[in-house]
Amino acid sequence: MDSNNLPNPPQLDLDAVREKLNGKTGRHYWRSLEEVAETPEFQQWVDDEFPNRRSLVDMDRRVFLKFMGASIALAGLTGCRGYFLPEEKIVPYVKNPEEVTIGKPLYYASTFVHAGYGHGVLVSQNEGRPTKIEGNPDHPSSKGTSSIFMQAAMLTMYDPDRSQEVMAGRGDDATADSYQAFFRELKGKLKATQAAQGAGFRVLVESITSPTILEQLAELKKAYPAMTVHAWEPFGRRNVYEGTRVAFGKPLNPIYDLSKAKVIVSLDADFLADGPGALMNARGFAAGRKAASEGTMNRLYAFESGASITGAVADHRWGIRPSAILDAAKSILNGIENGSASPVQGVEQRHLQAMVKDLMAAGSAGVVVAGDYADPEVHIVVAHINEKLASNALSYTEAFDTEATSASINDLVKALNANKVDVLAIVGSNPVFTAPSDLEFEKALGKAKFSVHYGLYRDETARACDWHVPATSFLEEWGDARAIDGTVSIIQPLIKPLYNNPTPVEFFGALQGDLINGHERIRKTKYAGAVADENGWRKVLHDGVVPNTKLPVVKPTAQQIAVESKPVTGIEISFRPDPHIFDGRYANNGWLQELPRPMSKLTWDNAAIVSPKTAAELGVKSEESLTITVGGNSATLGVYVQPGQPDGVITLHAGFGRTEGGTVQKNAGVDVYALRSSKALNHAVAEETRGSSAVYALATTQIHHSMLGRDIVQWNTLAELSGLTGETAHGAGEHKEGEHKEGEHGAEEGHKRELKDLNMYPDEIFEFEGPQWGMTIDMNLCIGCNACAIACQAENNIPIVGKEQVKRGREMHWIRIDRYYTSQNAVTGQRTEEPNNKEVDPIDNPMPVFQPIACVHCEKAPCEPVCPVAATVHSHDGLNQMVYNRCVGTRYCSNNCPYKVRRFNYLNYSDNQPQFSEASVDIKQVPGPIKSPKTNGIQLLQMLVNPDVSVRGRGVMEKCTYCTQRISGARIEAKKLGRELQDGEVVTACQQACPTQAIVFGNIRDKDSKVFKSRRDKRAYLLLNEELQTRPRTSHLSKVMNPNPEIKA
Amino acid sequence: MAESKQKLMEFRPLIEGEQTFESIDQKVADLVLHQKGRYPVNLKSPWYIIMGTAIGIFHLLILSVGWLLYQGIGIWGNNVPTAWAFDIINFVWWIGIGHAGTLISAILLLMRQNWRNSINRFAEAMTIFAVMCAGLYPLLHTGRPWVAYWLFPLPNITGMWPNFRSPLMWDVFAVSTYFTVSALFWFVGLIPDFATMRDRAEKMWIRKLFGLLSMGWRGASRHWHRYEQAYLLLAGLSTPLVLSVHTIVSYDFAVSIVPGWNVTVFPPYFVAGAVFAGFAMVLLLAIPVRKWFGWTEIITDKHIDWMTKIMLATGLIVFYGYILEVFYGWYSGTSVELKLLNFRFSGPYAWAYWSLIFCNGIAIQPLWSQKNRRKEGLIWVICLLVSVGMWLERFVIIPMSLMQNYLPSSDKNYYPTVWDFGMFLGTIGMFFMFMFLFLRFLPVINIFEMKDLLYKTQGEKAATAREKKPATAPSGGE
Repeated sequence: MDSNNLPNPPQLDLDAVREKLNGKTGRHYWRSLEEVAETPEFQQWVDDEFPNRRSLVDMDRRVFLKFMGASIALAGLTGCRGYFLPEEKIVPYVKNPEEVTIGKPLYYASTFVHAGYGHGVLVSQNEGRPTKIEGNPDHPSSKGTSSIFMQAAMLTMYDPDRSQEVMAGRGDDATADSYQAFFRELKGKLKATQAAQGAGFRVLVESITSPTILEQLAELKKAYPAMTVHAWEPFGRRNVYEGTRVAFGKPLNPIYDLSKAKVIVSLDADFLADGPGALMNARGFAAGRKAASEGTMNRLYAFESGASITGAVADHRWGIRPSAILDAAKSILNGIENGSASPVQGVEQRHLQAMVKDLMAAGSAGVVVAGDYADPEVHIVVAHINEKLASNALSYTEAFDTEATSASINDLVKALNANKVDVLAIVGSNPVFTAPSDLEFEKALGKAKFSVHYGLYRDETARACDWHVPATSFLEEWGDARAIDGTVSIIQPLIKPLYNNPTPVEFFGALQGDLINGHERIRKTKYAGAVADENGWRKVLHDGVVPNTKLPVVKPTAQQIAVESKPVTGIEISFRPDPHIFDGRYANNGWLQELPRPMSKLTWDNAAIVSPKTAAELGVKSEESLTITVGGNSATLGVYVQPGQPDGVITLHAGFGRTEGGTVQKNAGVDVYALRSSKALNHAVAEETRGSSAVYALATTQIHHSMLGRDIVQWNTLAELSGLTGETAHGAGEHKEGEHKEGEHGAEEGHKRELKDLNMYPDEIFEFEGPQWGMTIDMNLCIGCNACAIACQAENNIPIVGKEQVKRGREMHWIRIDRYYTSQNAVTGQRTEEPNNKEVDPIDNPMPVFQPIACVHCEKAPCEPVCPVAATVHSHDGLNQMVYNRCVGTRYCSNNCPYKVRRFNYLNYSDNQPQFSEASVDIKQVPGPIKSPKTNGIQLLQMLVNPDVSVRGRGVMEKCTYCTQRISGARIEAKKLGRELQDGEVVTACQQACPTQAIVFGNIRDKDSKVFKSRRDKRAYLLLNEELQTRPRTSHLSKVMNPNPEIKA
Repeated sequence: MAESKQKLMEFRPLIEGEQTFESIDQKVADLVLHQKGRYPVNLKSPWYIIMGTAIGIFHLLILSVGWLLYQGIGIWGNNVPTAWAFDIINFVWWIGIGHAGTLISAILLLMRQNWRNSINRFAEAMTIFAVMCAGLYPLLHTGRPWVAYWLFPLPNITGMWPNFRSPLMWDVFAVSTYFTVSALFWFVGLIPDFATMRDRAEKMWIRKLFGLLSMGWRGASRHWHRYEQAYLLLAGLSTPLVLSVHTIVSYDFAVSIVPGWNVTVFPPYFVAGAVFAGFAMVLLLAIPVRKWFGWTEIITDKHIDWMTKIMLATGLIVFYGYILEVFYGWYSGTSVELKLLNFRFSGPYAWAYWSLIFCNGIAIQPLWSQKNRRKEGLIWVICLLVSVGMWLERFVIIPMSLMQNYLPSSDKNYYPTVWDFGMFLGTIGMFFMFMFLFLRFLPVINIFEMKDLLYKTQGEKAATAREKKPATAPSGGE
């Protein structure tokens, strides 16, 4: 440093010291060292904290700047968070909001709307983000239970593919614009229509029951007297309204209370899973089957044109062609009117006769339910039948959804083709994808002078409209909706709109010409049970339900109308909404896509569902391709051979094959809307069916149909069950000594006892004075609806894995619904010898049974001893625990689990959701601020996770925990109050969701608990316990069938 | 071979031809020491071809393992009923192959079977390399291999010990002990030969290298005394290992409750299978190697004959095991076991079962005839079939049993991916790479034991013959 002019401080020259000491040993060495130590340089060196450092003062300007530059550059590295370091923003509350305790969720009542109808929900919110949806116990529709759609709605809320910006222009040329710009243009266009009283103004809506929006539509109508509201719900209740309109003179809304019914006949009605009353119906149906152990049960007859869960739980089931449903209805009516049932193709006359006799005997406790998709004629006939029966289980209100009160989509297309539409607003609906193919909706839409689409996704319709306005999820908006019985419930936002979008109420406000506030608008709505004051309003928000808004029941008289049945030949196609993604609106929801369909166990795909006989006639096998042509359009699907499917009928589930609006739905299934025409909406005749041996690989989660004669799903008929007394042979080994009353058991029971005495395991394995958790699953109540599976997925942060991984057999659901076909003939109710070890596929018309299986928490769990690192161990309260952090992933536990309920993270599933793993995400397709879908997608989906449950990484085993986080939560609460946990305080996610309340959970040591009693029900048994002595904590309760003794082979 | 039956039956010595101590030294050691000059010219290009191929395939292993570590086990075909497949098949297969080495070294040593002397080094090396290949699998098949060390009972702050009830835990001890003892045994046996190499080496660095490896061996009687003791002790240690390692490996299956695994016959059946597979692999390598290196006089037809006899015996035990498996399945009378049998006989992977029966049951039958036991080509093909068969056996036992479940709803088919095959091939590449490196750079045949044998059979004659060529320094010979 020549430029350094300052004098150097004395510095210790270490080299000189070393040289001085060099070569000296012993005494000389120490003396020299002393000499060195006495020098002032050394003293200073010792005193200085950082000796020989470079002082700032020594530095010249250049060096100083170099150092500064480096420091600043290094400090700047922290700014790389978000690029290659994870960005972490953890900001504590400066002021804690009232009611918020960090780590504790808050619950708000709101309403989930499916196909227009409201289902009351309670949504839990963790630090401002909604995380889980449960049913609202005060809401008449859900009563605390939930449907799969309700549970999955949370994923849609955080879907990164949701539309985020207002888009101007069509197709790929669209550009992001502001809502204000849209509003200005809309206002101008609407003003122009005012001259003709709004004759060129059309609104296309879905089924809407919201009192506020219906008010808004009425106001709109007042402002534009010549405008028209059209409604299009691809799988709506149009036929119900049409039928009741003809029969009663006005469209009516039938409501069933099946708990009052002893005999139920379903005419192609999947009333347990589909339609706005499904949860209500499932609850009512279960009420009639709960008391099976006491010997009383309702009886369900089902006529079906496909295989549905309602048919699966029926006591007698006939698969008939869709065109024969009307014959079945007429047959029942004839049977009631003149004592002899008219013939129905594919059903034996004496069976019909016996069924009608049973129905008539039930009288007012009998009810016939016609499916929403059955022809209007069927509804006309059924109205007569129910009137004749004077059924208690059925009541009517006036129809109130837009489908009953609006013009049809056909009229809209007519107007469009006549160039009469100046302004078209499409709200929510996706007609370009779902409209009947003969309408050629997309072409017609191009003729609208100004069109706007309001919806959650920039879907097929949004891309074909001039403007697209993104909608809010129901968790982000103020609104309201009616349940099927008319009860109004409030949609209360849980979070500010993620993308600052207008809510539906605000969008209709915009159509009225105002930028309004949704909350203020719904406060103005006049409900029947008025909530004027603030206190009343707060109570409504708290309860979620507006009191006294149930619609009045009407008691109409049906007119005698003769209906003609039209015989149909050839192969019939039956169009149905997919049981999970519905009409396609949930196609981008991975939870629903991956949830195995109840009957077929298919995921991520639809198929041409055919009976074994028809498959043979068509010359195709499962997973081969079938090309179906209807109305000149054709679609090629994979074949799924479904036992119980009526011969000559192909069931096609719509909603798949979406092309726009999301990445999850890509490559999932085939669009069959192309085959659906406005004249034959729900069933049609195939013009041509061409099978080919080309493989169409389907991702199913269960390949076997038969139980192979094993004792897996136990079942009895009601008559057999009444013969059994007390505790049956089931579940030997679980009862304590001395609990049996001697003499109560037969010789066989004595033998079992003897065997039990030989058992070397102690009766009570866990000697712990505290709750011992256990569960029972009543297979008699299980309707196979999958609500438990998806509730579990939502609660426990279970990832989806995608179609390819499901094909590999790596789906992650902790609870699955096994579906078997028993040896009982679904028609005659008679048993046949069940074949051992042979996959007899399929047995002639077999009865399906459902068995939900999650980890059964064996007391002697086979998984535990084999884990080399003790990552799966038992807790003192009887839980088989999985310690994720300890798991190294040898998968031995899974091999040794006889129930195969363990799930392994073969890949990094939690982070690789398809939304952001796919590199080819098109920015144009996913508009808005998602410029880097990878990171933003992750951030968005991270908001979804339940903070009480670990997110599992790759290479770790996982399984059902009995919702251990909920157990802990309840225990902590009880401890705080200084009391014991009470029965019913711990509710698992599956139990809470179950529409029929088939699952009971609790402390099996508590003799007063529900689970204790249920575990000792005479139908209870422990799955595989006799074979393997695993001693499960989950008991299954056998299924009971209640066949009509007069119906025999 | 046109020899009459009588000639076949006559006694044939374990070393053929006019051999001396010197000639043995030369035959074995010079291969290593004179890479340029005396390394058989006709061998060089095959060596390079095989080595090049092996290294190429070894890179497939590196690639497969790299991708595996990056992506996870999901790159394989394993799924939920079939959580173990190629990973454990290959582990068991490789461990089994290693068994011949230990059996030859330890048990045959203790039983004073002198004929082992020419093949033991070779077989031991095979053991070590096979165990190395095998060891990769349990480590890499874990979901999180970076914490696989938790399987060892290491003291840690959480006070968490492994679960000693788990057969996988026993595996850890069995395999690590096996590898340690085998490696020690091999190395100890090499010490006198390293000394011979040191003494014969002409280049300084080679002499230094072998000097280092020979650990100061001078052939003193004290050295020999201690050597013999150590060797015997190690042989004693290895002997139970021959039985225990594969017994414990079989416990992975037999201890579980999986239908098709929970069979008491597994331990002896696995051990026999391992010896069977091991001898097949020794023969598979020895037959071409003795031709190439001109060792037909050291590894004689008699060796081949005896090894095939052992193969036949163990093969029949294994076949008996297959019959028992079927019997147990039938005798259990349970639907699950019967279904499994059905699945093996006629399921989608029935070809694997029937190929296994052919390879391990039918294909070995020609070995009953002494004439056939002299047909190298035939034996080689049989050994190849046996190696394939033993792999198929594990395929039949591991994934095929897992595909069948107590609850039929869980049944799912398993099918492997390219990465399953990639890693398997890769380990074969690694095995051959090490094997051929060994063949070229270490004394493949136990020199001093051969000399010992020569002395025992020919007496002083062999020893004195050495004096004809005094240029070579005496070494480890007695």
